[in-house]
Amino acid sequence: MKAKLALLLAAVLGCSLVLSGCWNSRELNELAIVSGIGLDALDGKPGYRVTFQIINPSSSAQTTGSASNQPPIIIVSATDRTIFGALRKASRRATRQLFFAHTQLVLIGESLAQKGITSLFDIFERSHELRLNSAVLVSKGTDAASVLKLLTTLESMPSMGLLKKMQNTSKVWGENRIITVFEVVNGITGESDFTINGVEIVGDAAEGEKKSSLEQSEPMVGSLMSGLGVFKEGRLIGWLNGPESRGTQWVLDKLNETNVNIVSPDMEEDIAVNIFYSKTRVKVDLQDGKPVFHVHISEEGIINETGGFVDLGKEDELQALEKGIADKTAAEVRQAVKAAQDMKTDIFNFGNELKRIHPQDWETVKEDWSGAFAEGELDLKVDAYIRSTGMRLKPYIPAKK
Amino acid sequence: MPNETTESRPGEISNSKEQGPPIYLKLEDNIKQICDRLGNSPDLIVRAYESPFQNIRVKTLYINGLIDKELVEEYITHALSFDSLRQGIEPAAEEAFAYAKEKAQNIGKEKIVEDQNSLLEGLLSGDTMILFDGLEKGISVSTSGGEGRSVTEATTQVNIRGPKDSFTESLGTNLSLVRKRIKNPNLWVETLTIGAVTKTDVSIVHIHGLAKEETLQQIRKKLADIHVDSILESGYIEQLIEENNYSPFPTLYNTERPDSVAGNLLEGRIAIFVDGTPFVLILPATFFMFFHTVEDYYQRYDISSIIRILRFICLLVSLFGPAIFVAALNFHQEMIPTPLLINFASQREGVPFPVVIEVLLLEVTFEIIREAGIRMPSQIGQTVSIIGGLVLGQAAVQAGIVSPAMVIVVSLTGISSFATPAFNMALSIRILRFIITFVAAYIGLYGIAIIGLMLVAHLCSLRSLGVPYMSPVAPFASGDQKDIFLRTPLHFMKTRRRLISKDSKVPGTTAQLSRDGRHES
Repeated sequence: MKAKLALLLAAVLGCSLVLSGCWNSRELNELAIVSGIGLDALDGKPGYRVTFQIINPSSSAQTTGSASNQPPIIIVSATDRTIFGALRKASRRATRQLFFAHTQLVLIGESLAQKGITSLFDIFERSHELRLNSAVLVSKGTDAASVLKLLTTLESMPSMGLLKKMQNTSKVWGENRIITVFEVVNGITGESDFTINGVEIVGDAAEGEKKSSLEQSEPMVGSLMSGLGVFKEGRLIGWLNGPESRGTQWVLDKLNETNVNIVSPDMEEDIAVNIFYSKTRVKVDLQDGKPVFHVHISEEGIINETGGFVDLGKEDELQALEKGIADKTAAEVRQAVKAAQDMKTDIFNFGNELKRIHPQDWETVKEDWSGAFAEGELDLKVDAYIRSTGMRLKPYIPAKK
Repeated sequence: MPNETTESRPGEISNSKEQGPPIYLKLEDNIKQICDRLGNSPDLIVRAYESPFQNIRVKTLYINGLIDKELVEEYITHALSFDSLRQGIEPAAEEAFAYAKEKAQNIGKEKIVEDQNSLLEGLLSGDTMILFDGLEKGISVSTSGGEGRSVTEATTQVNIRGPKDSFTESLGTNLSLVRKRIKNPNLWVETLTIGAVTKTDVSIVHIHGLAKEETLQQIRKKLADIHVDSILESGYIEQLIEENNYSPFPTLYNTERPDSVAGNLLEGRIAIFVDGTPFVLILPATFFMFFHTVEDYYQRYDISSIIRILRFICLLVSLFGPAIFVAALNFHQEMIPTPLLINFASQREGVPFPVVIEVLLLEVTFEIIREAGIRMPSQIGQTVSIIGGLVLGQAAVQAGIVSPAMVIVVSLTGISSFATPAFNMALSIRILRFIITFVAAYIGLYGIAIIGLMLVAHLCSLRSLGVPYMSPVAPFASGDQKDIFLRTPLHFMKTRRRLISKDSKVPGTTAQLSRDGRHES
């Protein structure tokens, strides 16, 4: 009796294992790994054109059984009222099921960004496959699809290449930083406005889709990280470029490392200082009903190059240079804040800061924060220090007589 | 040799426990009877001794090959010369018998046999029999010896540092190898005979005062309960006394190293020696014992600790390696870093099978190579591994049957399984690996988690002679942790494991035990 029962139990368990097992099992060669998603607006119609950059494994990996001449990526696109609808519609073109867990990039076309991106990211939060840590970019002056179509050298996967470009420039130059879906969603829901990195195409976009464009030492076409798109209430209203965007990162305390060319009294931007540490403290309060932004930046740098003679062995020379760094930094920060104030867009998180520290004060300016922000005052203090002069003190360049 | 003769008529021998028919008065009748019962086996040697007296006729019997020839020779020439009896005139047979008996004491272990069965039994275990015409009794002298393998280097548990000797097939030699290491009167040996047909000597060895009395009783009882015809290897005993016959895990430890036995005895464990095999059983055994080696104690503690940790990592790899690979590739592609995933994907482009089939194909191939390699003569074994490993692996990848990453996973798993020092544990892991891989192919990491939990639950439920198999981790004993995952310096090891040893005190203070060895494992 007992043995019979045990046998029955084993049979039932065995059957349930066999019948239910494998339901979500997918072999790797049944998947189309999506590395980038492009979202574009349709002309005059509601809905999206969604472009998928799919990795072609046999030609993008280093080790291959059979070298193929196919490009490392394949572009598939579909249009629908919803993103999910578009991605399911794309199955009519794709031979394999699209797999999103490895999406590196989400590119938003400029026209869509101008229309508004508020509702775009719901699927990213809802889906278990799409990730919140994919980087978000806005294509500047072109549509998202054409950026995704660009082939790149060095990195065989273009999305990976763009991501690395972003990482690299944020690490050593600091105008851009990686902004993820998660941060954008936070920006949309928070009290302040937000920025998204811009990317633009240099050269003939149509040429960049061909593999032949890679067959020369200087690629004819390329993508370039370029500025920050400023979003107000979910709409792209303008761009911050160059010093403005680096100033923004400075205020946001997102600067890792950068280079500053110093203007010193007797030299015009001839000394290159590598800023390797920067810390920003921000406080916001209301004074006479006007917001005041207290920004305190302390930074440290190394002198990496001088274009003329400067006696770095002298303490007062160094102090003068430190002041030069501080002035240069302050100028960029002021430029950034001014640009944002002109656009009446608080991209520096000042609103959230005020709300956090002085909630009562925030209540008074909440109604018209953009206006209040635009009239706010910047109380900026920059402390700069030179920690090293590199591997020598005085340059070999002779002093001016 | 003795087996052949006895096995031909097991019925007659097996009831020898009862008193057999008495020895005949006439010498010739006895000889004839013995020859008959041994099937006229040519290895029975009957030597007539020329006595100086007319009325005393003596014959010695032994089985060729089982005895120490020198001993027999010495005995016959000296004991049976009846030198001192010469003065008298025509001594009675009784007198000569008593004389021979006295002389036999020189050799030792002499006894008087009075029935046919014990006579035969004695012969078969290497005794020399002296039968007198006209007496219903004989003298048995222990002269067992004969050819045996000499003590050689261990072949299954090789080490770099440490003693190189290993057990042989001879029980006496094996016991002496342990005695040489523990020169202490408290090393006690009990011997009993098991196997109705084979009459194999089995010895229980323990250190009096360290081993738990209950455990000893339990072993005695279990051994006494064994009723089988033959014990040809300690594996018979192992399977007959272990409590969990249906568990994949071994609950008895076996070793062919005398130093390992000595170390375990000093921890309060009990060893079972079986005549005819170099493998000695040690019990109670715990799970972690199978991942320790004696060499851990010979190398310095830091090195040993790191190597132990490595072994446990290898255990995890050999159990879960292919399973995690299959689960990740089939169910959790998001877990793999993007560039790696693309690499895997490109490798899999041309492969026609699902990942599981790929794993099984390679695993089975690997097992075939391994099994074939073990049974091969060592020179050919090399060739098999080269053909199997290099040629087959490389060719399978180039033929597009398996992907290169899979070869790496499977070979890493295979090598990891060799890192388990105990071969029987490695075998269990080998089997379990297949089951876990199957489950992973069904329900991914979830399945691996479930089967992992089941394994842990099962391991915790096991007992080896009353000692929890997972002790001292489950049940947790904080004082006993110093020699489980790590091997702490020897001067830290001042207590024995409570669950195993009777006396867990600091070794230096243990009453009769003046010499310390290592004390914990």
